[in-house]
Amino acid sequence: MSYINNPAVVMDNGTGLTKLGFAGNDSPSWIFPTAIATSQGGSSSNAKKSMSSSAASSATAGNPYYGNSTSATSFNDNNLSSMLLSNNLAGKRGTEDLDFYIGNEALVASQGPSYSLSYPIRHGQVENWDHMERFWENSIFKYLRTEPEDHFFLLTEPPLNPPENREQIAEIFFESFNCAGLYIAVQAVLALAASWTSSKVTDRSLTGTVIDSGDGVTHVIPVAEGYVIGSAIKNIPIAGRDITLFIQSLLRERGEADTSLRTAERIKQEYCYVCPDIVKEFNKFDRDGEKFAQFVVENQESTRKKIVDVGYERFLAPEIFFNPEIASSDFLTPLPTVVDQTIQACPIDVRKGLYNNIVLSGGSTMFKDFGRRLQRDLKGIVNNRIAQSEMLSGTKSTGVNVQVISHRKQRNAVWFGGSLLAQTAEFKGYCHTKKDYDEYGPEIVRNFSLFNMV
Amino acid sequence: MLHLKPNNLLIQKTFSEALEANANGAPLSLDRIISDFDYTTFHVSNSPDDKSVLWLSIKTKAWQSVTQCDQGKNGLLPFLASKYQSAKGISIPQSFENGYDYTLQADLKTIDQDTINQLSLLKIFVMNYPFQLAFNEFVELSNMPVLEEPTGSSTSSSKNLYTIEYRDEENIFIRPSNDRITVIFETVFQDETDKVLGKVFLQEFVDARKRNRDIQSAPQVLFSHEPPLELQSHLRKAANNTDLSRRFITFVLFPRHFQTPELQFSTVCQLTLFRNYFHYHIKCSKAYMHSRMRYRVGSFIKVLNRAKVDEDESETAGAEGTKEPVQRRTFTGRKMVY
Repeated sequence: MSYINNPAVVMDNGTGLTKLGFAGNDSPSWIFPTAIATSQGGSSSNAKKSMSSSAASSATAGNPYYGNSTSATSFNDNNLSSMLLSNNLAGKRGTEDLDFYIGNEALVASQGPSYSLSYPIRHGQVENWDHMERFWENSIFKYLRTEPEDHFFLLTEPPLNPPENREQIAEIFFESFNCAGLYIAVQAVLALAASWTSSKVTDRSLTGTVIDSGDGVTHVIPVAEGYVIGSAIKNIPIAGRDITLFIQSLLRERGEADTSLRTAERIKQEYCYVCPDIVKEFNKFDRDGEKFAQFVVENQESTRKKIVDVGYERFLAPEIFFNPEIASSDFLTPLPTVVDQTIQACPIDVRKGLYNNIVLSGGSTMFKDFGRRLQRDLKGIVNNRIAQSEMLSGTKSTGVNVQVISHRKQRNAVWFGGSLLAQTAEFKGYCHTKKDYDEYGPEIVRNFSLFNMV
Repeated sequence: MLHLKPNNLLIQKTFSEALEANANGAPLSLDRIISDFDYTTFHVSNSPDDKSVLWLSIKTKAWQSVTQCDQGKNGLLPFLASKYQSAKGISIPQSFENGYDYTLQADLKTIDQDTINQLSLLKIFVMNYPFQLAFNEFVELSNMPVLEEPTGSSTSSSKNLYTIEYRDEENIFIRPSNDRITVIFETVFQDETDKVLGKVFLQEFVDARKRNRDIQSAPQVLFSHEPPLELQSHLRKAANNTDLSRRFITFVLFPRHFQTPELQFSTVCQLTLFRNYFHYHIKCSKAYMHSRMRYRVGSFIKVLNRAKVDEDESETAGAEGTKEPVQRRTFTGRKMVY
């Protein structure tokens, strides 16, 4: 069988962004929004044809799908109403089921009147299987150009994904696409594997706490020996989008020249950092004018430049992880406390390992010094508790080592971990093959053996 | 997406990014694998001594058989070189990257978008070579005086049968003759469902031309279980056609399909992507059927839920005497929404 030499395909379908690529590469080949633009039924076919062709031509003219995007937002809200239109199957005759776009092309196409945009994944889980199946179809054949029969696939799933969803994935991949083999990995475990590239990690264990912060929600997930401790997972409703909105509100209060969401997002990505102490940082800003920055808004239509001042939001925006009360009124627990609570909810035997290996993953953990601040705050909490118990019991504690690991592959940690695991020689042995599927049926994907990489 | 594009989007994207980064003065360090259909792998990497020079290497299953098509004349390398002659910034290194069949060297300082397009067509160009040989031989044959054969047939076909072994068990055969070029695809299906769907599709290829007057100028398509006559002598030698699921699809190209270089190129693109196109559509139709099935199951569940009798509503109300609304659950266990 000559598919042995073909690289495995690693697909990480997130709520906001999809990362696609081949095992062995150091970064995903494609990063685009998990969005699909389907043509709407109802309009007369002639009008639809001309519309779709114009949408297609505009899509090819600017090559909007070349760039790897860093944002899942389309920055135009006129398509929200049309999202509710479900697929009207009864009206379908002909090749309408092939008339759709995914990713960045979908965002472009949905600006025309004949396509409606939808996001098939909500809160990490697939909601619309019809759309997801077509999304995969296009990503395999158009973007990756692979014949699924010749490749093994590694897919990711969120923690606590119901096994029925795994079966659905297996049905689609084995029955529609006839893929050679499939492995479904939990995102948190892959993020742990990705941290092995950091020089701080000495033993390649699959025990640790993963802080995964994307666009919509931040998860704190404890993993022991490759198994997720489901009962202890905690979610924080603060993530990338909230930071962007917070920056936007600060810009609006000051009355800046441009307060669009896109500008706020660019400022977040380029200027923000985490400071050790807010009061001192405010003083530093007041004493030293150098700290203030200016952001130039690029505008394609008009040639005049808008200049936005960037001030305290540079350190205030990421601060909402550590002092949520400055931005939200309903969630008030700081991130270090949540991490501590999570680990305390785990079995006592693994707690030391969990404190010792706290791994960051996702775009919203990319702020400078984020890991350092988290480590300091968490250490404070842990040391207080140790001091208290030493005082109460009168014995000396051996101490707990708290270590937060940041590494360069943090942004696409889940994908990168998948790429690392899928390029190993053993990977294909862990996969379920098409033959297994035909023999036992979809329930085989309920269990995957873990990678034990030593 | 109805048709598969001949160019490799990922190569285009990678080179465009590299070009842009180089123009901004921060050349990317690349070491990427890119794949294509039919056991084809590309490798994009920086040249060891200069970051602004990229190497694009290709390894493809078809390579070996394509090089053997011209009986040891070694015409493939000059052929590829001629294709990239006019492209700006492309040069061909003396030796190819280890483990790969062919390497192109692109200088990011001079390449432009056209060159990137050409690069993304590399696999098509490799597959193009046997077709080019067939086109050349066709010209030779059609210029030869037709010998009156005793059987009365006026066609003289070539002795040569160009074979592209592009997959493990599937090959493309090309046989030129003095008035046509015959291209034969061999297909084998691994999956039972695919076999059935594939048969419907192939029959449709054959019938569509008969039914529709608008596509009369398209090449004639034949579909058979038996190896066509053009192949029989060849396959008898191989004597491996024991597999019953083997099918043969024959395209008959007439001069109108390959008169100009543009026509030749588009013909070659369509034909080399035929198998991928064919399998892509089998998969699409399965996806479509799945969506119909989900829709149907959803509507059945709705019907079942309507038929469900409310559970002893009066009993609980009588026993407890409370006004608490009874929670109704649907067939799948979800709470019912009115």
